[in-house]
Amino acid sequence: MISTLGRFTMVLALGIALYGAIVSILGVRRRKPALIESGRGAVFAVFGLATFAVLLMEAALVGRDFSIQYVARNASLGTPLLYTVIALWGALEGSILLWIWILALMSLLAVVIEGRRNREAIPYATAVLLSISAFFLFLAAFPANPFAAIFPPPADGRGPNPLLQNHPLMAIHPPCLYAGYVGWSVPYAFAMAALMTGRLGEEWIRTVRRWSIVAWGFLTVGVILGGWWSYEVLGWGGYWAWDPVENASLLPWLTGTAFLHSIMIQERRKMLKVWNLALIITTFALTIFGTFLTRSGILSSVHAFSESTIGPMFLAFIGVILLVSFGLLVYRSDGLKAEGDLDSLVSRETAFLMNNLLLLGFAFAVFLGTLFPLISEAVRGVKVSVGEPFFNKVNVPIGLVLIFLMAIGPLIAWRRASLDSLRRNFSLPLLLAFLGTGVSSILGVRGLYPLLAFSLAMFAAATVIQEFARGVRARRQISGEGYLTALSNLTKRSRRRYGGLIVHLGVVLVVIGITASTVFRLEKEVSLKRGESMHLGRYQVRFDDLTAWQEAHRFVVQGTFTVLNANRQVAEMRPAKRFYPSEQQPIGTVDVRSTPREDLYLILSSFTQDGASATLKVLIRPLVMWIWIGGAVMALGALVAIWPDRRVLVAEPVKERVAWQPGRS
Amino acid sequence: MRSVMLSLLIVAVVWLCCPGTGLAVTLEEQAQLLASELRCPVCQNLSVGDSPSEMANQMRELVREKLKNGENPEQIRAYFVSRYGEWILLAPKRQGFNWVAWLLPFGAILGGVGVIGFVVRRSVSRSRAPGDAQLPPLDPRYASRLQAELKEWGQ
Repeated sequence: MISTLGRFTMVLALGIALYGAIVSILGVRRRKPALIESGRGAVFAVFGLATFAVLLMEAALVGRDFSIQYVARNASLGTPLLYTVIALWGALEGSILLWIWILALMSLLAVVIEGRRNREAIPYATAVLLSISAFFLFLAAFPANPFAAIFPPPADGRGPNPLLQNHPLMAIHPPCLYAGYVGWSVPYAFAMAALMTGRLGEEWIRTVRRWSIVAWGFLTVGVILGGWWSYEVLGWGGYWAWDPVENASLLPWLTGTAFLHSIMIQERRKMLKVWNLALIITTFALTIFGTFLTRSGILSSVHAFSESTIGPMFLAFIGVILLVSFGLLVYRSDGLKAEGDLDSLVSRETAFLMNNLLLLGFAFAVFLGTLFPLISEAVRGVKVSVGEPFFNKVNVPIGLVLIFLMAIGPLIAWRRASLDSLRRNFSLPLLLAFLGTGVSSILGVRGLYPLLAFSLAMFAAATVIQEFARGVRARRQISGEGYLTALSNLTKRSRRRYGGLIVHLGVVLVVIGITASTVFRLEKEVSLKRGESMHLGRYQVRFDDLTAWQEAHRFVVQGTFTVLNANRQVAEMRPAKRFYPSEQQPIGTVDVRSTPREDLYLILSSFTQDGASATLKVLIRPLVMWIWIGGAVMALGALVAIWPDRRVLVAEPVKERVAWQPGRS
Repeated sequence: MRSVMLSLLIVAVVWLCCPGTGLAVTLEEQAQLLASELRCPVCQNLSVGDSPSEMANQMRELVREKLKNGENPEQIRAYFVSRYGEWILLAPKRQGFNWVAWLLPFGAILGGVGVIGFVVRRSVSRSRAPGDAQLPPLDPRYASRLQAELKEWGQ
């Protein structure tokens, strides 16, 4: 029953999406408002049907209806409720369903929110969004049908991949990442609408900037949560392996970040019009490419949870996107001439251009490195690997220059920066950076890259803090506000700017966390008998006990270790191994003790049958927690930047006398 | 501009030629570094250094033993390549076709710097050009209308 109903829903939604895309275009071409209205209705209908399909699938999962193949493969009688509910995104077919739902939701929000302001663009944007929906609905209706039936239904299902039912982060990491991917569809749709209508001014940029920040924010959170999940679950002590799928999520993040910066030049100076359109097209195509990499299995990956034969369809879809989009871009190139000119080599415009270049260079290095095994095999017939040592060597220097640009970008003046303003803005941060470098060198930081990373991070942090401090001081002088009121009012006056600065601060925290946890990591692997202990860093770890028990859906072996610091007990930690009936290899469950200073990371490598001895791998990774905190700060900054401004809704703001304006020194 | 490019090039060459094992001093550090450059053959994209698998354990032991026997890192890498093929190295060797992966990103960035430098200079010199080169002459029809509206607005 569910199978038929689900399939029917998908096919119906596909039909409506196609219908809506066609009537939207027809309506605007032939000036028939009724048709446009009908296209708008299609967006609502697709959202309704997608919601119904998701609920139907959840009903099947929670009701353990094993006559549905997807349920039989990804749920079982013993799986806990949470992991049953989130099995919706545990495999390919369900992921596509979730993708469809998020896309339908975003399309609906875009049509409702932007509908009043963009009468001309909205039918085209609707058509583009519905066409994208149609592609994914086609996948769900035919080659990757989540509602496919299985006969006879098995008595029990296989349950989700054990790695996917080991940590609650699995409940939020994939939806966030998908929202980040799918979110770029909206800016892309409005960019296409601008190309189709020929209204290539700054309207589409103004429409999409908030949507872009939303997509960017979700993508950021999704990527960082993915690192966190990997750190907590995969049990090797790292958070980023330069895995093809991780790289695939980084690519649109990089080009999207470039886009968020370069649209500021277009808003301010009416330049880079072609560039911005090319960036948004590339970013959108990369989100589809990411899905393709995840799902096609052409590259071996830790994310090979689901593979299928829909790869070629994704490739074809990407081909169509690139061909149509860039074709339109070339067709409209006459209307995309820059209206302004640059005044000086030393200006924010140039800093932004360099930032764009390096972000794209970074992305290109990642793209090339990820695909190089395929290229090498095709050209030379030799398999090579491209992993962490390669990316560290190639991408770290590019990243360091980016941090430098991140520090100077927000403070260097538009048009032309005078020597005086440069001195005023950068002398204090530079001084602090040099001092910081000296201090970290005394504390034992060695090597060019780590020292550069720390000093640049400090430089960037100092510029941001100086900027906030100056603004607060200026406000206090004018109005006599308290520090916190001044800070909040300052931020409210220019949300995008200060939100962006907060994001930069988050990036600094992430950079410091990554550098410290890589450079100062300690690790040791030893076999211990009961009562014996080992030493690493400040810690002494004693093996106390080994216990084993049977749970509903797995068998667990757990070690108990007492952690002492200067002969004082600080924690009792329990790394374990879990044995699932469906898996050959046991799944390691690490125990991590996180403090702001450092993480202590215990992995139970092996044990003897009688439980008398166990092999333990101990890692100390300093400042790891600051990577997650940095991610949260970045999300906060994005939130500040998009927070709706009440003033704009009421009326155009009245010009006020301002003693000091940020970025105009 | 040219001198900037040249110095960037020199830095890039020095950076590529310096050996990666420069900072590892003790035998254990060298072993860990080497292990992090080898791919664990039975895992998905993990290095021998990071992988918890039995196979990686044995390979780490082998690396330590070879270092104790006085083999240098280059010999040890060569040994693993002869057994598993180039695939075992997590960074492709800097030779032949592999240079494409190592150099193309930097080539692209340097080229981009050149293009940006050129475009910015041209744009800057255009904006500094004397006269009203930026604005096309006003259409006379608009000019008269503009005059009229300005007059009206002034009243």
